[in-house]
Amino acid sequence: MGTKLGFLVAGLVIAALPVLAHHAFGFQYDASKSMTLHGVVTKVEWTNPHAHFYVDVRDENGNATNWNMELASPNALRRLGWTRDIIKVGDEVSVFGAPAKDGAKMANARTVTLADGRKMVAGLAAESEKESGQ
Amino acid sequence: MRKDLATALCVAVVLILSSILAVGQKKQEEHEPQGVNPAGGGVPAVSLKHLEAKSSGPTPRTADGKPDLSGVWGPGLNMGSIAVNLKPGEELPLQPWAIKLTEERSTPEAKRTDPKPNCLPDGVPREDPFPYKIVQTPKLIVFLLEGNVHSYRQIFMDGSGHPTDDLEPSYYGDSRGHWEGDTLVIDTIGFNDKTWFDGAGHPHTEKLHVIERYQRPDSAHLEFEVTIDDPGAYTRAFKIYGHSPLLLNTDLMEYWCIENGAQDLIHIVK
Repeated sequence: MGTKLGFLVAGLVIAALPVLAHHAFGFQYDASKSMTLHGVVTKVEWTNPHAHFYVDVRDENGNATNWNMELASPNALRRLGWTRDIIKVGDEVSVFGAPAKDGAKMANARTVTLADGRKMVAGLAAESEKESGQ
Repeated sequence: MRKDLATALCVAVVLILSSILAVGQKKQEEHEPQGVNPAGGGVPAVSLKHLEAKSSGPTPRTADGKPDLSGVWGPGLNMGSIAVNLKPGEELPLQPWAIKLTEERSTPEAKRTDPKPNCLPDGVPREDPFPYKIVQTPKLIVFLLEGNVHSYRQIFMDGSGHPTDDLEPSYYGDSRGHWEGDTLVIDTIGFNDKTWFDGAGHPHTEKLHVIERYQRPDSAHLEFEVTIDDPGAYTRAFKIYGHSPLLLNTDLMEYWCIENGAQDLIHIVK
């Protein structure tokens, strides 16, 4: 598992996520799709309005692509049990989330499985406000 | 023979346990957090759901016998569109120009101008997926807002009316409150026209007059009705309804939208 940094896109699952997030999740991410990415954390931004972290995801040839994972806001993450140092550079994580609509290497993280196996509710979708009527 | 049987039994147990675990895993995946109930109304964001009071008691009261609305509350409206908070079957009585403007605001480009992702105040009655806190005193009630920007609303309970001279239009307006039995009634005028009512972009003008009626029927729930009267944008007054859950074991936290808002706004709308 440790060396198997495969590009694990778990299929574009039609997940029927009737949610949009605080900052208009629906414009940026495709809520009808979901994906799982597995890789090594390269950077963490614990910032408002949304936290981000970046993950190097390697394909079968070992080539790394850096993905920007967008999370909820730090206050929301704290209430979900996160701390600012829960993810560190070098950690190996799995991220389940929704991809960007425009094909950018970005995803809205919904759950993050940490290096120690804990599965954390994470993302903008989780922090979706009631902006579902747009 | 007995050993073979024991081995077979062990294998069977392992297989059964494995399948149970697999089903459990699948169930976990199926129950990935779904954000909020799209039906809205009283269902807060996932990060607040587990903080909702699980049991309730009688309405707390202050020394003077009024309901005590103090507490940390979850958002109580669906803010995708305020129309969701109307009574079933009702429609927003928009004037033609307001219909046109709402349509114009439906494009991703136009959403850039929504004050909310630009980290400006929400106005009334727009909410965010964050708690708000009510601090109640006999002469003044304060709504402390965790987001969209840290802000506050002052509700003057001293019997004074709205200022008679020209009010400087503001995001939260001028609020005066009084009690009608166990109902807190808040009358607000003096709004600017810079906010959108919701993510759908429903507009309002400076003629907006909002009357909120809050009740705490038990310790764990805040029920409210909001009358929106804006003859500048709507053909008649209308009412929306909200339900806020009491949140326990949390308090307001810092949230500074502006910190990195410009970057996230670019991400959102590009």
